[in-house]
Amino acid sequence: MSSVLWRTNFSYNKFSQIAARALRQSLKEGERVKAERRGVTNVRFQKWQDGKGGEQVFLNPPKDKEVKKSAAV
Amino acid sequence: MKMIASTKLTQAQRAMQTAKDYGIANNEVVSHATPDGDAGKRRLFVVVSSDRGLCGGIHSSVSKATRRALGAAKPIPEEKVPAADPDSPVMVIGDKSKMQLSRAVAKNLSLTFNQIGKDVPSFADACAVADLITTSGVEYDSVVIVYNKFMSAISYEPAFVEVLPAKALAESPGFKSYEMEEDVTKDLAEFQLANAIFAALVEGHAAEQSSRRNAMDNASKNAGDMIGSLQMKYNRGRQAAITNELVDIITGASAL
Repeated sequence: MSSVLWRTNFSYNKFSQIAARALRQSLKEGERVKAERRGVTNVRFQKWQDGKGGEQVFLNPPKDKEVKKSAAV
Repeated sequence: MKMIASTKLTQAQRAMQTAKDYGIANNEVVSHATPDGDAGKRRLFVVVSSDRGLCGGIHSSVSKATRRALGAAKPIPEEKVPAADPDSPVMVIGDKSKMQLSRAVAKNLSLTFNQIGKDVPSFADACAVADLITTSGVEYDSVVIVYNKFMSAISYEPAFVEVLPAKALAESPGFKSYEMEEDVTKDLAEFQLANAIFAALVEGHAAEQSSRRNAMDNASKNAGDMIGSLQMKYNRGRQAAITNELVDIITGASAL
């Protein structure tokens, strides 16, 4: 079943985010602009080891946002 | 300053009302799953605050509550503080609390997040945080989220919310009485974590906005009071100087 294919690669949360993004992109122009704001996240994180912080890493690097993924058939 | 903070506060409060429902739905499942006892649980603390200051005691209240829980050998029911080992892992959302906790419990920190809280937090933020937590490789039996609960427009207090990961959820008595696929349990646990983080983020954001508005209000009032009292002092000094000059002139004139 296709449900098995995504499980090995990412979590349910990521799955729902991808589905939400697809839904948002299918809205009409005005509604879409409002809805896009709900999908935006600029989270940065940093791993800590023994009381010392590592490098700050962007989860979604800003300049890559324009890349649109298309389904390979 | 107070007006700007007020408009942001109403926005944040409105978002909080809708987000609270996520938190309530979460708690329904946990309360019916009735997890057993406290003993030997390895708790992961997720501290929810933000990157910006000028908001009163928001960040220090959450940091202090976390430090109390880390030092507590037994849970304190009156204040709902859970018990935890002093070496429990801690993850912090928000630079201000991160700086406070890195001075106090640096060895416990495992992951920190920032850039959340500039605007009303989105579910995408919460999902990102939840995913990073589950894939971080940190071991834990349950997650405790520490955040500021919004009590009213002028008060807030730190609160703890416990979320169970997949293993603990599957083994809890209430859950075991139902037939569940393992995959679905894992999905539910991950989604619950994201839900709980989202509810905590939005409520913490609302508490922060209300605290910022009050802090700005107090600052404006104090500045106004100071202006008034300094004005009084200045006038008195000016009048005293004029009086002295007059006295000089009069004694000089009468000497002639």
